[in-house]
Amino acid sequence: MNSLKAKLPPMGTLGPFIALVVACGFFATQSDRFLSLQNFSLILQQVMVVGTIAIGQTLIILTAGIDLSCGMIMALGSIVMTKMGADFGLSAPVAITLGIGATALFGLVNGLLVTKAKLPPFIVTLGTLNIAFAITQLYSGSQTVTEVSEGMTWLGNSFRIGETNILYGVVLMLALYLLTWLFLRETAPGRHIYAVGNSPEATRLTGISTDKVLLGVYVLAGVFYGIASLLSVARIGAGDPNAGQTENLDAITAVVLGGTSLFGGRGIVLGTLVGALIVGVFRNGLTLMGVSSVYQILVTGVLVILAVLTDQMSRKGAR
Amino acid sequence: MSTSPNAQSPLVIQAKGLVKRYGQVTALDGADFELRAGEILAVIGDNGAGKSSLIKCLAGATIPDEGEIYLDGQRAHFKSPIDARRAGIETVYQDLAVAPAMTIAENLFLGREIRRPGFLGSVLQMIDKKRMLEESIARMNDLKVGIRSMTQAVETLSGGQRQCVAVARAAAFAQHVVIMDEPTAALGVKEGNMVLELIRRVRDKGLPVILISHNMPHVFEIADRIHIARLGKRAAVVDPKHISMSDTVAVMTGAKSVDDLPAQALAH
Repeated sequence: MNSLKAKLPPMGTLGPFIALVVACGFFATQSDRFLSLQNFSLILQQVMVVGTIAIGQTLIILTAGIDLSCGMIMALGSIVMTKMGADFGLSAPVAITLGIGATALFGLVNGLLVTKAKLPPFIVTLGTLNIAFAITQLYSGSQTVTEVSEGMTWLGNSFRIGETNILYGVVLMLALYLLTWLFLRETAPGRHIYAVGNSPEATRLTGISTDKVLLGVYVLAGVFYGIASLLSVARIGAGDPNAGQTENLDAITAVVLGGTSLFGGRGIVLGTLVGALIVGVFRNGLTLMGVSSVYQILVTGVLVILAVLTDQMSRKGAR
Repeated sequence: MSTSPNAQSPLVIQAKGLVKRYGQVTALDGADFELRAGEILAVIGDNGAGKSSLIKCLAGATIPDEGEIYLDGQRAHFKSPIDARRAGIETVYQDLAVAPAMTIAENLFLGREIRRPGFLGSVLQMIDKKRMLEESIARMNDLKVGIRSMTQAVETLSGGQRQCVAVARAAAFAQHVVIMDEPTAALGVKEGNMVLELIRRVRDKGLPVILISHNMPHVFEIADRIHIARLGKRAAVVDPKHISMSDTVAVMTGAKSVDDLPAQALAH
């Protein structure tokens, strides 16, 4: 009995999954169009961008930080890569690299302000949120970049399995989740991310450079936002300076719903995928039910608070 | 009790004339220090006596302004705690020493995870969980720490058990010396005794231990010699078997001079 309990994942890991299944069950009774492979494929497409941003967000929240600028950095990346292609005629791989470079650079700025200037991540990213937004608007002249080469939208293409269309971008997102999960679970740098979030002082005392870990996390998060930029361009077929506004908070929502503790050091990145899917399922299901989008936002808000509450209570229980 | 080390035991750490100033404040004013092989040396002193500055110099956490530190007779220059650790000096801190949500095995190896062989370990930095688990069990058994599962999170342990994990980690990796800063301060009686027992086993395995403590009964229970710090210097090194607790405290606070002590009270 005891050994069985030890083998099962803890409630924090299982909870989000149960919530997802319950939500799916509910919407299946409300709309006969909900339970179809094509609809699930659509939900995956809808969460592709926010899901990829949320991987980076998970890394940061695992270190007990938070990134409020993630969606804006993603928007900047998509503008940089599309404009590099459109204005200078750069080939897609070069333009994409420059776009991801820009988002990684922003991650580096966030990381340096957190580690070297010792500012709280909340304040730093509140600042860079506005800076990234402003740069995006100034650089694009608030204009959508529509001249996008095929190399940049390739990930928006789909292939078929049976009757279901699956986007290459969705496959990329799922692969990134799997890789990040392995990285966090099986490698020394991955474990150090948990250690820093768990107890920065204890980690530093073992000789791990906590600054290096944090800096690496913020840069890596920037790279994930850059990949999300590419997915966004692929999905919309354009560089949109106003992208990322819903994704900004939705990414944090996905992480929290996925059971990662806002206090750092606890959580599994695959939970974030489940969290992103919960948000996606609610949006999709409520839309199919014909519920106004304002209610969808309301429901998301309630879900986040419930998730944080559960996190808080489970932590008290552990004491 | 094993035989206490005598004056013939070689010096593991020796410090001569350490000076450390913080602005106007002189924390260390020519402090000497000697740790012998195979002993538990307690370091006691009032607040501001310079004991924590002394320990920080030995652990590499501060660099002394003047003076020399020798490790096994060789001059040592520690610029950071990592330097000291590479030289085989491990420090256990009062708390903050463990990552609560991580497993015991992970905590034991935090910062020096065993890598998987070949490409997976060297390039991908993948860790060998199985070997870390086996080694953890072996090391904890070696020190007779009675914790069954190495895969449970440290936060499921009691305070004393957590401190045992921290001590075991230090003992497992220290080549030369283990420094313990108030290891029993936050613990109850039973838990404190558990940690003391463990410290003794570390010593009996051949590792000398420097124990900083305010708890006189604990100091008298396990120390082989007691280093009394006072006014930034070493006031005396006494032998707990031949001096009373009250005399020790009197020297520590300056109520009694070292010259007033019987000759046999002093340790050599």
